[in-house]
Amino acid sequence: MSAEPILKNYYIISSGILLLAIGMFIMHYEKKRPQTREIVTLSVLSALAVVSRSAFAMIPFFKPMMGIIMITAMAFGPGAGFLTGTVAAFVSNFIFGQGPWTPWQMFAYGIGGALAGVLTKRKIMEENKRLITAIIGYLVVQLIVGPILDTSSIFIMGNAVQENYLLTIYIAGIIPNAVHGLATFLTLLLMAKPMLEKLNRIKIKYGMAGGQSYEI
Amino acid sequence: MCFLHCHPMINLVFYLGAIFMGMCFTHPVFQLCALLLSLSYYVLLFKENRLRKLLGMSVFFLMIALGNPLFNDRGESLLFTWINGRGYFLEALYYGISMGAMFVTVILWFSTYQQVMTSDKLLYCFGNLAPAFTMILTMVFRFIPDFQKKILQITAARKGIGKWQEEGKQRTKIEQGLLILSLLTSQALEHSIVTADSMKSRGFGSGKSTAFSIFQIKKSETCLLFLMFVLLLTILLCALAGGMSAVYFPWIELSSFGSLPTSLGFICYAIFLSIPTVLHIREEIIWYILKLKI
Repeated sequence: MSAEPILKNYYIISSGILLLAIGMFIMHYEKKRPQTREIVTLSVLSALAVVSRSAFAMIPFFKPMMGIIMITAMAFGPGAGFLTGTVAAFVSNFIFGQGPWTPWQMFAYGIGGALAGVLTKRKIMEENKRLITAIIGYLVVQLIVGPILDTSSIFIMGNAVQENYLLTIYIAGIIPNAVHGLATFLTLLLMAKPMLEKLNRIKIKYGMAGGQSYEI
Repeated sequence: MCFLHCHPMINLVFYLGAIFMGMCFTHPVFQLCALLLSLSYYVLLFKENRLRKLLGMSVFFLMIALGNPLFNDRGESLLFTWINGRGYFLEALYYGISMGAMFVTVILWFSTYQQVMTSDKLLYCFGNLAPAFTMILTMVFRFIPDFQKKILQITAARKGIGKWQEEGKQRTKIEQGLLILSLLTSQALEHSIVTADSMKSRGFGSGKSTAFSIFQIKKSETCLLFLMFVLLLTILLCALAGGMSAVYFPWIELSSFGSLPTSLGFICYAIFLSIPTVLHIREEIIWYILKLKI
């Protein structure tokens, strides 16, 4: 049998690939030798995303983290969005509990952020198109971020990947993902404009990268 | 030398090994061994409301164990049939129990990991590999309590000027939360620029940065690390020789303990996983004796 148990273990293979992807991104970021201001700003934004959960402690199920990450990505570009998502997911798990889901959460939130950055570059998500931005945010969570997180529970809970099992997991995930998406929708609808105004003001005020987005 | 205060490299190697092997080995005897040893360290490390958490984990275990045959219709020995004539097979039940044990073991390892691998230890292990990323993580860890304090300050200030509603509709609650977050953002971003400029003028990024650490590796720890690598290597060789093979479908086939790879692999696995428990108990005994002398 030899290496069979490892090769047949979907969880280890998939998580390994995810960690490799995240690791490659981080190495690329290191190679660029980021500026001090960039490092500090990104860490402030990641910390804000994590802390945003405590600001809403009185409202159950309301998780604005993805929304804050998306706003960061809209201001600073897809690379910054991925980094913020990854860091925020990793660090928040120190508070809410690390587990086999950690690499998946890091990747899912990172991808959510990166997508928002790309869509902003394509001028699909914009500061002035509030409703469209918020709807896209909802769709990204419902269709991409949520299913990635659900996939992790398939691999964590058992190796027998069978069609009806997959279907059950994805169907069971629809409502929690919708709640998560709704929180993102509300965050983007109400926060995107004031937050982006602040971020852009900071960028102009302190002449960061000529008021343009960080290229990571 | 308590496992909790060991050199971070020992903690890291142990948890990487324990979690990885815990996910790979589906042989029931190996799984039982891992489950018991992870449970023993969990019980030693956590004193408060562990019963409730363990109860929650057992519910999860039962869900996975009993639920697996519902989705998995492979197997030889039929127990009973249910809706649509689908079979409920004994092999699938055993496989479910194995999966449940694996899940609980990994969760237990992660819960103690949380206590042992504090953020400073993790940063020490990866600090030289990715300095900028580590810097970001370090700063985030600092900013979180800082921001939480600031949220309380902002809330108090808004209460003071009569702009805070304790009771109210969900909508006003969400709006209040978002407003606080927005206020915090302004403060934090201004602050971040000042911090960054201060860092730069003190020479951050001008050369290769070194990290302060209070961790020093002792001679006994070097020996332990060496022992761990020897054990890991032996287990790997045993696994490659097929010592841990366990096939559940279509019928159960386990490697027997008569063969060398299985028995040797099991002994090494048990020794490796018992490191935290043994070190913890040893420390407690030493303290007990020292206290007796007073």
